[in-house]
Amino acid sequence: MPVAARSSRRWLLPCLAVIAGAFLSLAACVVRADEPEAADPHAHHRAMLAQQVRRSEVAYALPNVRVVRQDGKAMSLADALGDDRVVVVNFIYTTCTTICPLSSQVFSQFQAKLGAARGRVHLVSFSIDPEQDTPARLVEYAKKFHAGPNWDHYTGAIEASIAVQRGFDAYRGDKMNHGPLTLLRAAHGKDWVRLDGFASADDLLAAYQDLVARH
Amino acid sequence: MRGPHLGVLCIALLCAAAAQSSAAPPGAGAALYLEGRLPDGRPLQAIGPNGVVARGADAACVNCHRRSGLGSREGDITVPPLTAAYLFRDGATNAADAALAHPPGTTPRSFAYTPETLLQTLVSGVRPDGRSLRAPMPHYVLDATAGRALTDYLASLGVAPAPGVGADEIVFATIVTPDAEPVAREAMLTVLRAYFATQAEAAAARRDEARPNGVAPYRATRRWRLQVWALSGPATDWQRQLGDYQAQDPAFALLSGMAGRDWAPVHAFCEQARVPCLFPNVDLPVVAEQDFYPLYYSRGVLLEAELLRARAAGVRRFVQLYRRDDIGLAAANALRAHAAGVVVEDRVLPAAATTLQARATQLAHALDGIGAEAATLLWLRGDDLRALGNPPPGRILASGLMAGLDDAPLPARWRARTEFAYPLDLPARRALRMRFPLAWLKAHDIPVTALRVQSDSWLACDILAGILEHVGDAYVPEYLVERLETMLGRRLSDGYYPRLGLAPGQRFASKGGALVRLAEDGTVVPVVDWLVP
Repeated sequence: MPVAARSSRRWLLPCLAVIAGAFLSLAACVVRADEPEAADPHAHHRAMLAQQVRRSEVAYALPNVRVVRQDGKAMSLADALGDDRVVVVNFIYTTCTTICPLSSQVFSQFQAKLGAARGRVHLVSFSIDPEQDTPARLVEYAKKFHAGPNWDHYTGAIEASIAVQRGFDAYRGDKMNHGPLTLLRAAHGKDWVRLDGFASADDLLAAYQDLVARH
Repeated sequence: MRGPHLGVLCIALLCAAAAQSSAAPPGAGAALYLEGRLPDGRPLQAIGPNGVVARGADAACVNCHRRSGLGSREGDITVPPLTAAYLFRDGATNAADAALAHPPGTTPRSFAYTPETLLQTLVSGVRPDGRSLRAPMPHYVLDATAGRALTDYLASLGVAPAPGVGADEIVFATIVTPDAEPVAREAMLTVLRAYFATQAEAAAARRDEARPNGVAPYRATRRWRLQVWALSGPATDWQRQLGDYQAQDPAFALLSGMAGRDWAPVHAFCEQARVPCLFPNVDLPVVAEQDFYPLYYSRGVLLEAELLRARAAGVRRFVQLYRRDDIGLAAANALRAHAAGVVVEDRVLPAAATTLQARATQLAHALDGIGAEAATLLWLRGDDLRALGNPPPGRILASGLMAGLDDAPLPARWRARTEFAYPLDLPARRALRMRFPLAWLKAHDIPVTALRVQSDSWLACDILAGILEHVGDAYVPEYLVERLETMLGRRLSDGYYPRLGLAPGQRFASKGGALVRLAEDGTVVPVVDWLVP
């Protein structure tokens, strides 16, 4: 449950990545190099979407529950989240076809973009369908998104899963009701940066760099 | 020329090329929509709103817009329908056209797409009215041939009339196989007939209410009609019989149903004929979660095998007893599949044993010489449990479903030492929920003869009724399944099950179970409250 929320809402920087090369080559158009904006006819699309990511900072009182990592190891939620690394959290379920593949793909890209800083960031994905998402299924899912050693997936008892979701104000009553959400924390005891909406890997990178700069 | 104009030109060129596009091979649109495969065999590529690139099956339209093409909803995100009835005309809602399916969350557009503007939108991410597609809709790398194949496929969605849906009624069928246990079969049929009779009365009342202004509010007011499709002869002939039944008087969906040992032909029929098959009373379902149309409560004895294996994780030797013509064979195979590195010995009993004495002799022979280090696993029915003699010295595990659950007739010497798999909620925990089916049975003057069958059959009807309220006018078989995937987890009371839930690719609604002992007085004593193997 959020115990304190500071209204520090701001718009994130629009995503500037250029990704439409494949389309343009298909369209058989010649784009001049001195007109870089022409390479991205989707800029309007993405800029609008980037503005839909809502940022806030919240202190959460997280529950004392046990969660189970993809390797079958059970541990407290505090241990799952609490080491020296920056922690970045999202919520997924492995049979989700709409939001979760996007969120996981963004984590995968973020993981790559971190480069040398990768070892200083702990990516954590909590299943919101824990009875379906056994550790074995989480391993399979993690493999699909090329999860590295600093990206863990957690399941557990359904009561624990609900408690974790409630702890982050992410519980919507049913797995089919969830929305896109990412949370970042600089260090144990610090507030969480909450990003509601479809954050891109660049959004996460910017939020991470901002956290590091401030802490 | 500035950049944005060039971008627009690119799209215009692409769309102009549509007129000269080569014809895609038959099935190309379905392959693109369902599998993310382009007509030339390459994987479809989608670029998501947050820069994510997806390819092939991960980029396929079906992931969000679903097999029906009627869209879906996840949290605050509404995925709109994209059947031709919506796309290629403006302001399409069923307020003006009662024949138009109307899934929730759909908002009418002020413009109609053409195949050309649709392709342009899919490629650019910008609609003809200048607005961007809403997240998480990506834009696609599509050429004119692929675009044509896709729009042709979209035009085919939702066009065929739904089987079993008439002007005033909707037909459901239930299946009984020839080896179904007679008491259980009658228990199921009594519940279904009573439920359908009540629904028909309610539907008639609602239609009468709607008549003053001459408009029926929804086709959900249609009367349900039940057909009982009784199968006969060998299982190898059942699929043909089902095809004949469906051809003579088609059903929109199969509801509940009662099997003995074999349900695979029914499962195969549902998948092949594209008929939803909802929650049959089977303890040995077909595990094929890539299939779409059959939905089950649980994996039955296959789940029990995993529960027992998880419970006996330290056991190094199992001795399994089952009759060679019963479902214990499949359960025993399932346990072996989850027991790598462990000795698993099967002691198979012959098929037919008619007398108690014959059973006792066969069982005594099968149990002979089992040492204390081995766990004995009983995949046996009540008739065999009654005939058990001396228990073996080691651990004893058993199938609760095959034994008869709370009523398992286990001899006194076995009771204290036998742990049953129990893939249901514990009696004390389900008592409150069970008031619903019990009150319904009482209200309909139906005596309790086979409570789990009666409760599960009632639950199947209740689930269907609830889902049809949300289906509205969209009587599309695939959409029925999709709504079940989305909404089943939102029910508050599920009889014997602590919770039910599905999703795309999930076909078993209850995932776990308990481990229990049976006390002398019949009380169920929990050993493990709930375990998901």
